[in-house]
Amino acid sequence: MFSQTKDALFDSFGRVLTQLARFLPGVLALVLAVVLLTLLGAALSWALRRILTRIRFDERVGQQNSAGVADWSPSHSPTLLIGRVAFWGCVLLGVVVGVSAYDAAYGTSDIATFMLPYITHSVGALIIFLVGTLLARYLSRSVLISAVNAKLQYARALSLGVKWLVLVFTGAMVLDHLSVGGLIVELGFGILFGGIVLALALAVGLGSRDLVARSIERTTDRTAPIDKPLAAVPEAPRTLRHF
Amino acid sequence: MSTATSTIADVEAQHMSQVGSAPIVLCLGPSFENASTDQLAPLLALLRDALGEMAADAVVAYPVSDPQAASWQHDGMALQPFLPSAHLQTISVQTATSYIGLHEVMRAHESICGILLGAEAQTLAPHTVRLMVEAVLDHNADLALPNYALHPNEALLNAALLAPLSRAIFGVRAHFPLALDLALSMRMAERMAVAAQKFTAAGQPEAIQWPAAEAAAAGYTVAEVEAGPRELPPPSDVDLATVLNSVATSLFADIEAKASYWQRTRPAATLLHMGDAAQAPSDNDPVAQDEIDGLIESFRLGYTNLHEIWALVLPPHTLLGLKRLSAAPAETFRMTDALWVRIVFDFVLAHRLRTINRGHLLGALTPLYLAWVATHLLQMQIAPLVDTIDPLARAFEADKPYLVSRWRWPDRFNP
Repeated sequence: MFSQTKDALFDSFGRVLTQLARFLPGVLALVLAVVLLTLLGAALSWALRRILTRIRFDERVGQQNSAGVADWSPSHSPTLLIGRVAFWGCVLLGVVVGVSAYDAAYGTSDIATFMLPYITHSVGALIIFLVGTLLARYLSRSVLISAVNAKLQYARALSLGVKWLVLVFTGAMVLDHLSVGGLIVELGFGILFGGIVLALALAVGLGSRDLVARSIERTTDRTAPIDKPLAAVPEAPRTLRHF
Repeated sequence: MSTATSTIADVEAQHMSQVGSAPIVLCLGPSFENASTDQLAPLLALLRDALGEMAADAVVAYPVSDPQAASWQHDGMALQPFLPSAHLQTISVQTATSYIGLHEVMRAHESICGILLGAEAQTLAPHTVRLMVEAVLDHNADLALPNYALHPNEALLNAALLAPLSRAIFGVRAHFPLALDLALSMRMAERMAVAAQKFTAAGQPEAIQWPAAEAAAAGYTVAEVEAGPRELPPPSDVDLATVLNSVATSLFADIEAKASYWQRTRPAATLLHMGDAAQAPSDNDPVAQDEIDGLIESFRLGYTNLHEIWALVLPPHTLLGLKRLSAAPAETFRMTDALWVRIVFDFVLAHRLRTINRGHLLGALTPLYLAWVATHLLQMQIAPLVDTIDPLARAFEADKPYLVSRWRWPDRFNP
């Protein structure tokens, strides 16, 4: 019995060591691929930044595009944006190469088959998330500024509503892209989106009761019989001329 | 040169044989497009009165949409139709199209003096046109700008921003750098047309141009003519935020384009003064207190909601000033000149650095401008005869080193 236990233990130990011996080179290959391509990415990013700075790329883009790439770039520098895209592209390539190398070293093809499409989807989801966040910020600011200049008291509520509408929409798109949550995401998105729209409608409706009432009164006046003269609306004298 | 401009040149060449050379060209703005004889008659009478014996040597060019329209005579004055390259105009100012049109007509008639006349030009005093012509012909000025005698409640955007900023940056002490009417020499018209072609080539025929800045950058002589009262064109349907956005964006872009010029320390450009200063009309109704309260409320609403956006553009010291201003009651509501100057300079810098989207930036300036307007109107209530514009322009000039420093080292110098 002791002999059988000893054999089982040695067999198990041997199997674990064998597995480890097959596993470690794969991990090493993964780490090496990621590190090497990260270093390559850093070098490429540095070189690109140097070249673009030397040819005054930011100024050229600024002259040709008054409100375009620069507004979406980190620190409003298209050069920095290109540098970072190059760096993270290399890091991503490193991860993909590493996973493939790990898969080859480990002797299975399951991980790469499972991971690679998921990484691709993750990149797509990340792009959707970034664009959605930027769009939410841009639209919320646009609404806020326009509403303030239109002297709407509920400008902030309107701006927040628009921001969360876009963010919820983006979140739902990201989860859908990653195939996470399934039907729950669709249901949750519908409830949240509908809830925000209802809240906004209530906020705007309640906030502009007087405005709507005045508008209806004016419409009623206009639909009065044509033989009944309309009461003259005294116009406030406008003496200010801005331009 | 654009196709549209070529069309103008072709039509001008055709009409040249009919009208011949003319030393003076008076070019009417888009508001006179397809105007009938009855509509043009008051203006033509004014021009004949203003030019006197020179009227026989002048050509009045007016925009038409019919390419077959022919030159004609009216009471001894030659009228020349021309095809403008653009018809749309949201704001009543002289745009890139106007300058290209004027230059083409001047070139076709070998003119030495060209005058652009804006909407409601028939309300100008005759001596204004005469003085503008004399400034160019007799005093060799390249640009003659009128100084309208307007009510203090009119042309507020000019008083708050355009005139003082142009004066501080470009050293031209003209009161209306974006005047509706102006006279140009041939070389000035050519320079303006070259600058305008960049805009029309980029599909912006309505782009606003800054003749005073162009003249300063070229080292040309500028004259200012005391113009007396003038009726302004009726206000368009465009809201204040859009107007402010269009005009300020254009000026800020021009400042950026001419940075190499204004960053050098230079003496103020010599300005020829012509005519006697006229008293501003005072028959307008005073602004109601409710309207001033409305302006203050707009600023307070802006402070409550746009504070975070302003914080991206303005330094802490300016934000503190705005905080105090928002808490001040209407009786003591005063935006100091120093505070307004810093706000404008910081917005110019943010426009250059693209700190935030440029549309958002100019949108966020509107409540601050309304605070300045409220202050201005309150000061007018207390002391209606005191000139508040000149001290403001001096404040802009005095604080210019701040703009220059932050323009050069935006990250190094931020109080």
